[in-house]
Amino acid sequence: MKTVANLAMVLLLSVALIAGCGSSSAQKDSGDSGSSLESKEAGKLITVGFSQLGAESDWRSANTISMQSAFVPEEGYNLIYKNGQQKQVNQITAIRTFIQQEVDYIVLAPVTESGWDSVLGEARDAGIPVILVDRRVDVADKTLYSCWVGSDFELEGRKMAAWIDSYTKRIGLDASELHIVNIQGTIGSTAQIGRTRGLANAARENGWDLMAEVSGDFTETKGREVMAGLLKRFDNINIVYCENDNEAIGAIDAIEAAGKKVGSNIRKGEIMVVSFDGVNKEALDYAKEGKISCIAECNPLHGPRVRALVDMLVEGETPDKFNYVDERLFSSIPDVTEVKVDGVSYPVQGIDE
Amino acid sequence: MKNQNTLKKIVSNQLFIPAIALIVLTLINLVNDPGFFRITLVTNNAGNPMLSGSLITILDFGSELGILAIGMTLVTAASGGQDISVGATIAIAGSAMLRVLCGGVARPETIAAPIFVAFLVACLVGMACGLFNGTLVAVFKIQPMIATLILFTAGRSIAAWINHNELPIVPDPKFSYFGGVIPGIPIPTTVFIVIGCIIVIALILKFTNLGLYTQAVGINEKSARLNGINPTAIKILSFVILGLCVAVAALIKVSRLSTINYSVIAKDIEMDAILAVALGGNALSGGKFNMWASILGAYVIQYLTTTLYKFDVQSDALAAYKAVVVIILVVFSAPTVREGCSKFFKRLAPAGKEAA
Amino acid sequence: MKKTSEKSSIFTKLNDTSLLLIITIVIFFAMYIGAIIFQGGGFTKPQMLFNILNANAALIITSVGLSIVMITGGIDISVGGVVALVSMCCAVYLDKMGGSIIGSIFIALGIGLLYGLVQGFLVAYLDIQPFIVSLAGMFFARGMTTIVNTAPFNVENAEFVALKDTRIIVPGMGSYTRKGIYVPAYVEIGVIVALVIVLLLFVVLRWTKLGRSFYAVGGNKQSALMLGINVKRTKFLSHLICSVLAGIAGYVYFLHVGSGSASHAMGMEMNAIASSIIGGTMLTGGVGNLIGTLFGVLSLCTIQTIVASAGLDDAWWTGITIAAMLCIFLIIQSVVMVQKQKALKG
Repeated sequence: MKTVANLAMVLLLSVALIAGCGSSSAQKDSGDSGSSLESKEAGKLITVGFSQLGAESDWRSANTISMQSAFVPEEGYNLIYKNGQQKQVNQITAIRTFIQQEVDYIVLAPVTESGWDSVLGEARDAGIPVILVDRRVDVADKTLYSCWVGSDFELEGRKMAAWIDSYTKRIGLDASELHIVNIQGTIGSTAQIGRTRGLANAARENGWDLMAEVSGDFTETKGREVMAGLLKRFDNINIVYCENDNEAIGAIDAIEAAGKKVGSNIRKGEIMVVSFDGVNKEALDYAKEGKISCIAECNPLHGPRVRALVDMLVEGETPDKFNYVDERLFSSIPDVTEVKVDGVSYPVQGIDE
Repeated sequence: MKNQNTLKKIVSNQLFIPAIALIVLTLINLVNDPGFFRITLVTNNAGNPMLSGSLITILDFGSELGILAIGMTLVTAASGGQDISVGATIAIAGSAMLRVLCGGVARPETIAAPIFVAFLVACLVGMACGLFNGTLVAVFKIQPMIATLILFTAGRSIAAWINHNELPIVPDPKFSYFGGVIPGIPIPTTVFIVIGCIIVIALILKFTNLGLYTQAVGINEKSARLNGINPTAIKILSFVILGLCVAVAALIKVSRLSTINYSVIAKDIEMDAILAVALGGNALSGGKFNMWASILGAYVIQYLTTTLYKFDVQSDALAAYKAVVVIILVVFSAPTVREGCSKFFKRLAPAGKEAA
Repeated sequence: MKKTSEKSSIFTKLNDTSLLLIITIVIFFAMYIGAIIFQGGGFTKPQMLFNILNANAALIITSVGLSIVMITGGIDISVGGVVALVSMCCAVYLDKMGGSIIGSIFIALGIGLLYGLVQGFLVAYLDIQPFIVSLAGMFFARGMTTIVNTAPFNVENAEFVALKDTRIIVPGMGSYTRKGIYVPAYVEIGVIVALVIVLLLFVVLRWTKLGRSFYAVGGNKQSALMLGINVKRTKFLSHLICSVLAGIAGYVYFLHVGSGSASHAMGMEMNAIASSIIGGTMLTGGVGNLIGTLFGVLSLCTIQTIVASAGLDDAWWTGITIAAMLCIFLIIQSVVMVQKQKALKG
């Protein structure tokens, strides 16, 4: 009896497999008519596949929400959002799915810079334009993507360094008295590279004591852990340069837990914390209280900008390859009202709005 | 001969392993940095006095584990398996608590319901999760680890869903007392919560037959049934009690941050809780248990964690060290190894006599 | 009337393995056809299915290993950790130490073998619960991965990248893009490896003495002993095979992602267990079929793809759907077991 059952099973299996193959090859033939039918049905709805790298920080969430509210059906768009959970492999899978679904445009916020050549090549073969958001990709062929929207991270870093410079000069600290630690973002991300470079160059030019650069992975927990370790290693830290707000919140926690005070009064032994992004509510509150002395904004609201680019592509125009968003500098300390980078002056704003 | 007997008694006592581990860890810390044992009085962010020091950290952060160890011991004893969903159910219970406290608003001005009500809801949610796990185990006879795999997989997603993936922040500073300190009392509140839980479970074990019944079910389900005990009910009850413990742990966890992070909160805590039970010398296959050894085991693990941090071990690498500890423990508590050891010692003993 | 009686007779004639297998296969096809009908678009293209295979070849291999351990009545939750450890070690070896492809394959197999020997010994010869042993194994692998290297990075070794991008064209299948270009369907090397492993072990399990001893040990230890089967050795071998397969899966995974990261294959053990269960492997041991496991993986991944294509935030919804599926299958199994016991008594 058992053998009969087994035979039946194998038979069923093979039939199923053949049926599976058959159905898919049959579908292939009808594929063309199917897709044209689809586009007719969809009418004017433009389908955009958005592969977001994750939801690791408040900045990222704000970025996602901005995209979601820019591409709504009422405005004629259909956004398919996919969260890559910080993994490139998930994002590649997502893009491949978009290609199979025949979306009209792909928006990609890549988690890392390398390793995109083959999948972006597939997208081009399928005739789907790719718009990059936030971080960039490192591909041999720059025509693999249409354009990029994001922040000038190095400029953010340089603005922050310029602020540190003018503030410490104002309170009469000598460059050699500045003992800085840098809690970096996820190593290899565009934001980390730019912000680290901005600080490192300034430190070299001004003769600051940049004692350590450790990654805090853009998260509060890691920021706390790294800061606690740094406080044990060095007892003369007076400036903490956090590459995002979440790290700053963690670092402030660690500093306070170690019984030290955060603030801008370095001369009185306070540890000054500066950070980036300016999206997190808690961080903005900290900045109001003076716990974070200065925040360089990193504008997450890419949605409208990306939509404008998509519209340009729809019209058949060629947008600029690199598009920067405008960003500000916030501080509750009134001493410094503007900073200069490369001769361009940037105003420093209060945190009341 | 008499000496040998007392020695044997001490060695065979369940508190022996955690106690030895405690002593070893203490010695390591003494050699490394005697400052480990210093306790100082500092002022926290809110300006309240609180004790600070590594020992306080252990007592404070070991609390959730200690509480979970209570429930996990009962589940282990009754079902002969472990609940691997505790971390995920902490996320669910915590999320439910936040939902009630914040009324579904991400940044509320005031709390929407009294803390007590929110905690009660969390308890109900925790118990419901326990009931779900318990039913799968007791009624459908699914292995506990596999049955709890379901909530392990879905728990954090459900937690996120309860609050629509928002991360609400509790505006009331009173809420942070549970995971911090009450103004004027420098000892972490969590210590009192643990003491409360221990007293409750001690009273239950003393004045009810819960302990006896649980062991009876764990040792032999059939004979327990013949003796008029309902194994299904006992197993479900043990899971529900664990659900309550989860709710208390969730209160502490959420209170520490006044908010929640669904994917990170109480991550890997299930492994630590199981380890605590094993460290307490309890058989993971069920049956007899010693509650106090488990709780002590929980603090030993926190002690180990804190010590490893002192040696600048990264939080991600902690797992490797803990794994080595687990393997050593289970190898030495394995019946075959124990038999081998006792044979070895027996052979050694007469040899020693002859030599003397 | 006649029809129902015939149906019931079929059900009684079928053994558990076949019954559970048929349920799985039917569910998979129902799901896929449902996806084609309701979501259309991508699912009508063969490449969609091959993409699922490409992305989950490693999961297929680990699930097969897990099924074998589960058939013998054990469990191994260290597989995800081993996959992560293997990919990190290979990545470091290839990228930072300038190693060769052959060397990296040996590293992968070596790690798997070592894991199998230690875990198998602890479980089979020291009689320690497999869950605890592999729990420690998982901890160790995850911890070691971060000790080997903390930051994730992409391997840029040219030979390796060429191997990674190797595509095996599936003849006769493909689709036209909107530009009118014909893109042939393809699979990656890992898929071939996975399918060969599935077939090979399917044959071993069904038609060799070793294979039958796995079922015998999982089904009833006492009678297995009486049949003269070396229970300890069989258990040891099952863990050895599982860990070696995890090592191979690690390499296949590495070949797909091309990077080393401590967060690789996070939760893969749970997906593998779920796939095995959905594929009809019984947790209590003695029942299971590797073809079923293959379909289990496919069902699981199809659900994930469907959920993702529906535009739901997959990070949350996949967890819930997988758990729901797992729950349903566990209850089906439990009911089947109860029915069987009743039948035996009756």
